[in-house]
Amino acid sequence: MSAHAAAVGTRAETSDVSVYHESLLRSPVFLGMVMFIGSEIMLFASFFTAFFYLRFSHGVYPYGGDFEIPKGPTGINTAILVFSSFTMHWALVSIKHNRRFGLVVGLFLTLLLGLTFLGLQMREYHALGFVPSDGAFPSTFFALTGLHGLHVFVGATLLSIGFLRSVRGLYSSRHHIGLEVTGLYWHFVDVVWILLYTVVYLI
Amino acid sequence: MAVAHAPDSAHAHGDAHGHSGGPQKSVWARGSWVRAIWVSLLFAAVAVGIATAIRAALGFGQVYSSEVAATFGLTFWAIGFTVGIGCFDYWWGYLTGRPDWVEEDHSAHGAYSWRDYFKVNTDHKVIGIQYLVLTFIFFIIGGALAEGVRAELAQPGAQYVSPSMYNGLFSAHATIMIFLFIIPSFAGLGNFVVPLMLGAQDMAFPRLNALSFWLLLPAGIMFLASFMVTPFDAGWTNYAPLSVQGPLGTTFFTIGVQFAGASSIATAVNFLVTIVTMRAPGMSFWRMPLLVWAQLATSSLVVLGTPFIAGSQFMVLYDRVMHTGFFEPTKGGDVVLYQHIFWFYSHPAVYIMMLPGFGIISEVLSVHSRKPIFGYKLIAFSTVAIGVLGFTVWAHHMFVSGMAPWLRIPMMATTMLIAVPTGIKVFSWLATIWRGVLHLTAAMLFALGFLFTFVIGGLSGIFLAVLPVDINVSDTYFVVAHIHYVLFGGSVFTIYAGLYHWFPKMTGRMYDERLGRLHFWFTFIAFNVTFMPMHWLGLQAMPRRVYDYEPRFGDLNLIISIGAFVLGASTLIFLYNVVVSWARGPLAPANPWRALSLEWQVSSPPPIFNFDETPQVVGGPYEYGVPGARHAIVTVHTPEPEVPVPATATLTRPAPGRREAILSSMKRILVVANQTVAGDAVIAAIRRRAGAEPVHVTVVVPQEDPGDAWVVDETAARSAAEARLQQLLAALRDAGIEASGEVVRSDPYDAVLDQVESERPPSEIIISTLPRTRSGWLRRDLVERVRDQTKLPVEHVVVNVPEAETTGQ
Repeated sequence: MSAHAAAVGTRAETSDVSVYHESLLRSPVFLGMVMFIGSEIMLFASFFTAFFYLRFSHGVYPYGGDFEIPKGPTGINTAILVFSSFTMHWALVSIKHNRRFGLVVGLFLTLLLGLTFLGLQMREYHALGFVPSDGAFPSTFFALTGLHGLHVFVGATLLSIGFLRSVRGLYSSRHHIGLEVTGLYWHFVDVVWILLYTVVYLI
Repeated sequence: MAVAHAPDSAHAHGDAHGHSGGPQKSVWARGSWVRAIWVSLLFAAVAVGIATAIRAALGFGQVYSSEVAATFGLTFWAIGFTVGIGCFDYWWGYLTGRPDWVEEDHSAHGAYSWRDYFKVNTDHKVIGIQYLVLTFIFFIIGGALAEGVRAELAQPGAQYVSPSMYNGLFSAHATIMIFLFIIPSFAGLGNFVVPLMLGAQDMAFPRLNALSFWLLLPAGIMFLASFMVTPFDAGWTNYAPLSVQGPLGTTFFTIGVQFAGASSIATAVNFLVTIVTMRAPGMSFWRMPLLVWAQLATSSLVVLGTPFIAGSQFMVLYDRVMHTGFFEPTKGGDVVLYQHIFWFYSHPAVYIMMLPGFGIISEVLSVHSRKPIFGYKLIAFSTVAIGVLGFTVWAHHMFVSGMAPWLRIPMMATTMLIAVPTGIKVFSWLATIWRGVLHLTAAMLFALGFLFTFVIGGLSGIFLAVLPVDINVSDTYFVVAHIHYVLFGGSVFTIYAGLYHWFPKMTGRMYDERLGRLHFWFTFIAFNVTFMPMHWLGLQAMPRRVYDYEPRFGDLNLIISIGAFVLGASTLIFLYNVVVSWARGPLAPANPWRALSLEWQVSSPPPIFNFDETPQVVGGPYEYGVPGARHAIVTVHTPEPEVPVPATATLTRPAPGRREAILSSMKRILVVANQTVAGDAVIAAIRRRAGAEPVHVTVVVPQEDPGDAWVVDETAARSAAEARLQQLLAALRDAGIEASGEVVRSDPYDAVLDQVESERPPSEIIISTLPRTRSGWLRRDLVERVRDQTKLPVEHVVVNVPEAETTGQ
């Protein structure tokens, strides 16, 4: 058993990012996250399908009534989320150079900005003046933004884990594949929001 | 090998759940069925409580709603179940930094008693068997529901069940068969076989693999539990508005589907990553067995398609619980939208249910007719083509739905197009068995039976693709006949073929061949008696999903029902065979079918980590009857240490004294190469000399310290060099050439001089490199320097290895 355990143990350690310097895609964890995000994109695509189908098969917009959504304040919220992608990137660059300060502060800022986004989104829901059952547009609006909010929540959970572990000093320039994966997911959540904001709010 | 492990690993296993060898926790606290029950109920109760409290706080008129309670209760019950059974214990320990948490102790790996199959296990072989047993239980339940349907339909008029119960029966039958039998049973077969075929020790994410399995059970319980409230009755397609207005059981369906879907997505990601990153050295994509290709295509379909059924069921759930307006025309919604989103997954889903079966058939037909598969690459390409085209045909399910009329013709065209890659496969299979030596085992019989029934199902599929025909037979028994010819005559036959084929590998015991054949003939005949007449019923316009029908259909329906009962009974033969053979069957050899692929090169059942040493793949997997062809070199450390595996490859072993004499009389050739050492040109150069006179070949693979080269991991580079060396040695051994070799850690020039100055200097040198532009050795004028220094004949062999596989030589 021990000989095998040792052999397999070595394999487990090779999921460390440093072995896969030339391409992160050779790391099983990173590749797995890429595939999972592919699946997530299709989940959002199903709701975007509903959005476009209902919008264009009825020709009026916002369909089924007169619904006002705040473009400006949400624009600020968008900027907050986009900025959090940069702080996330800062954290990742920092750990690659073994700078723990940048890592901890970067992750903390990212988490804070993500939670601020969620808080402002809740506030927007409260102030909207319509509820999901008011019509087809509110249905797709709440479904899309709610699904995205759920993803921000999941991303924030991953960030909290990364933050706690980074405070404990459990990452190094060679061992931080967990953060790479979290970063990728966070950027994905950010990109989806930019698309969502453009399609649902602006156009 | 598993036997050799048993004593010490049994000890390790005793400590397993304490993780650090401490006293074992009670069943209430550690991952167990007891904890699964109390945690799942606790999660459900808390979730329902919180949801109700929020409703009260927001001032809803009706604080308790059974729909809301079912939504939150079921979701968190299922999550609680996976938490309680122990799927998250490892991750929880990682997150919280528990002091006794160990990086990986393999405590949940492998099965040492039947009890281990009822626990969270990370061994892909155990998970594979868990999947197959659980899905077979669901198969029997789903079959029993179908027998209920047939009992009701045996005669016109009301017989045994109420109309709403009848709707529940056929809805649950289809749901269980599709989501809990066919899709996961392929995941189970793939789980067992694919890592072995790839030469890997396990799947890429063993704990995710375990979680995927344990998500399936709550999904199944939800589908069945809907019978305790009011069963869902909108069919497995769950069309809106029927589903939105349906009884409480529909909520059970929508949530159960989410868990079954999450399970298949997780498994698919696992398969994809395993296939991409964990292939053994030499296992290029074009050397993968076709079942692996099939799993690759299927998993891509699952990853990209399954989110759409998740989306569609979320929308139904929102419409039911939150009264949103996705499918509510008075609010601006549209019911046809449901069908678009649903079929965008559910048409690819029929390929998810068929492609792995195609892979199994390719394996079984080739092995049991002792012939190379015909058109390997075309079968692989057509698998991918079906996967891609599968996403472009969804609306052929909606020809009569009132969708946009312009969509009909393109969808008809793409649907007919998909018959092309399918036809390529069928003709390739026929060409494979053409003039082969057919061994009519139960596995082979099911594969041949599949060819017969699947072609019928495929042809009726082409009928249905044609718009005017489809409009006539839409929602009739013709469709029911088609779906059963492709899903039972197609998928289920391939599952049976696969189960018989790999049964010896999985259980280590042979099944009873006579009973297997009996099972086949009963199933095959009863299947056709059951489903063939449905074509006629459909053409006579008997609608499907009806509780009662016109008396003129009575005779055919009686025949169908009798066929269905015999079909059900034939499954009992299989069950008896499996249970008895598993318990008491004769022990299976490692390779009862004399197959070439990797899973057959290890013991039955395989050792706990599959391979004693990582295998080296050197050729295609289907070269049956090709002289000298090999798929892979597998080193098996037999339990008896007195049978050592020779380090040097030799064809014959003369007596030691004579051997020395022979060796000294042989012409000695030194081969120096690294990246190109296993190249065909090198082997050809050696064989030319061996053809002229007896030669002894010494191979030296200089693997320098990589220094600042871009290969970071020196160990990896060294083991890759070792693998290439072993590949050459194996090829020479097959050609009957005396050869030995080693990987040395020095400059190539020094390595040559070491050999020239040794006791047995070579009389000729072969140096093989990459082309001049990419060779570091040539930049250092290696060939010229060796010629000048040794004055020996030096041949320079240039091998052009693709860029991606080299690191500069």
